[in-house]
Amino acid sequence: MRFLKQIRLSLEKYRFLIAQLISRDFKVKYKRSALGVLWSLLYPVLTMSVLAFVFSHVFHASGSGVNFLVYLLTGITFFNYFSEATNLSMSSVLANFSLLNKVYVPKYVFPLTKCLFVGVNFLLTLLPLYAVILLTGTGLSWAHLLLPYAYLCLFAFTLGMGFLLAAAAVFVRDVLYIYGVALTLWMYATPLFWDVSMLGDPFAERLLGLNPLFQYIGFARHIIFTGTAPSAESFARCALSAGLMLLLGAAFFREKQDSFVYYM
Amino acid sequence: MSEVMIRAEGLGMRFDLGLERGFSLKEGFVELLSPSRRRRRRREDFWALREIDLTVRAGEVVGLVGGNGAGKSTLLKLVAGVYKPTRGRVSVHGSVCPMIELGAGFDPNLTARENIFLNGAVMGYDRAFLLRRFDEIVDFSGLEAFLDVPVKNFSSGMTARLAFSVATLVEPEVLIVDEILAVGDLSFQRKSEEKMLSMINGGTTVLYVSHSLESVRKLCSRALWLERGRLRQEGSAAEVCKAYLASLEERAV
Repeated sequence: MRFLKQIRLSLEKYRFLIAQLISRDFKVKYKRSALGVLWSLLYPVLTMSVLAFVFSHVFHASGSGVNFLVYLLTGITFFNYFSEATNLSMSSVLANFSLLNKVYVPKYVFPLTKCLFVGVNFLLTLLPLYAVILLTGTGLSWAHLLLPYAYLCLFAFTLGMGFLLAAAAVFVRDVLYIYGVALTLWMYATPLFWDVSMLGDPFAERLLGLNPLFQYIGFARHIIFTGTAPSAESFARCALSAGLMLLLGAAFFREKQDSFVYYM
Repeated sequence: MSEVMIRAEGLGMRFDLGLERGFSLKEGFVELLSPSRRRRRRREDFWALREIDLTVRAGEVVGLVGGNGAGKSTLLKLVAGVYKPTRGRVSVHGSVCPMIELGAGFDPNLTARENIFLNGAVMGYDRAFLLRRFDEIVDFSGLEAFLDVPVKNFSSGMTARLAFSVATLVEPEVLIVDEILAVGDLSFQRKSEEKMLSMINGGTTVLYVSHSLESVRKLCSRALWLERGRLRQEGSAAEVCKAYLASLEERAV
């Protein structure tokens, strides 16, 4: 309990710094671009349009009874958040070395601000996603109100992973390269544009169920396509994987943060 | 006696120079194949500071003198909380403003205006406070005309002026200063020295590193002379500066 209180106090104290770092990221990202922050919205719209065109006109893909485009975009939106946020978090501590070496700033703010910064973009991509959901006639239901639970789990898992990678990258720079490869593998191991039933192997299906990203994506797809609440087991599995990852990442980061300055 | 602001006991800081060389798979292989070469990458301990005791009371201005690599900046960073000590303890009472390197939190891509807020946040101030003091900061820096220019286009003197203005906008209880008074042009140097003096007269506790013995003598009430990580002498600023100067001249002969 005391630990939680400490976290809350620290977050309160450094709230303005976190806000400033996030706004810095936006300003730097869209510096000298004519459309500016509008790109945060336009970019996902355009990439989604490309995917929609490729998969519906070139591959003539169609899923098993569900709207394939919505199926695909849900997965991609979630996975892109994870991929971008963890990549930025991973190098966030290293990139701010000159600051950390001169002023005391709690080191956790760097992975945290990156996950939040990409999180804002993630929320913006929900707009085109919902546009597609409505345009394709997939329909809405009250169960959609449960979707933030999936976002929250995704965020916690990503943050935990970000902490772990940020700390590891300080000690062994190879992590920066290895993770890129691991992420590609992870992408294909997550049913983004294919379906688990295509494997026709119950063991492989169970194995994929252990992939946390697939748990969150599956949770969201269940809501979007059936319009009903996911099972209690689904809720529990998502919370478990996200909670464990966040705990593991945060504990590792906390344990190692004092020695960062020697390795950078 | 007045309140103790900084207290350090048995402070020691060790760096492992072997770490800097890092570890690579290639080296690992070589070591594996030829055992004679093994153990070459031993720890290389370097004690930047050893057994430092320091007590600074409210309102004191303590100077640190000594050659390059004597451990002055390491001591400042320990007090500022940037490093965790290997041995001993250090505690600081009250708000600390570390001016170890000016503009450490600047983002070169952002404008001066944006950097004032970013840097202010790094120093731990909040938005309302920065908004209230914004004009004062800009005024002091004398950079009104360049507020919306990215800092990467600033000269180093201009950057330093901006940084100094943000750093000193409040009177922090403890000020840690590392050789920064020589920034900007002559008129700004004078202005910043006056600002320092007014902060000192206002009761701020200062830990001050400088190679200019003249400024140490002028500003500090007490001085510490560090040599290769150890405390060589402690006493009144005039006394310590004299002894330090004498040892330098001795070495020169």
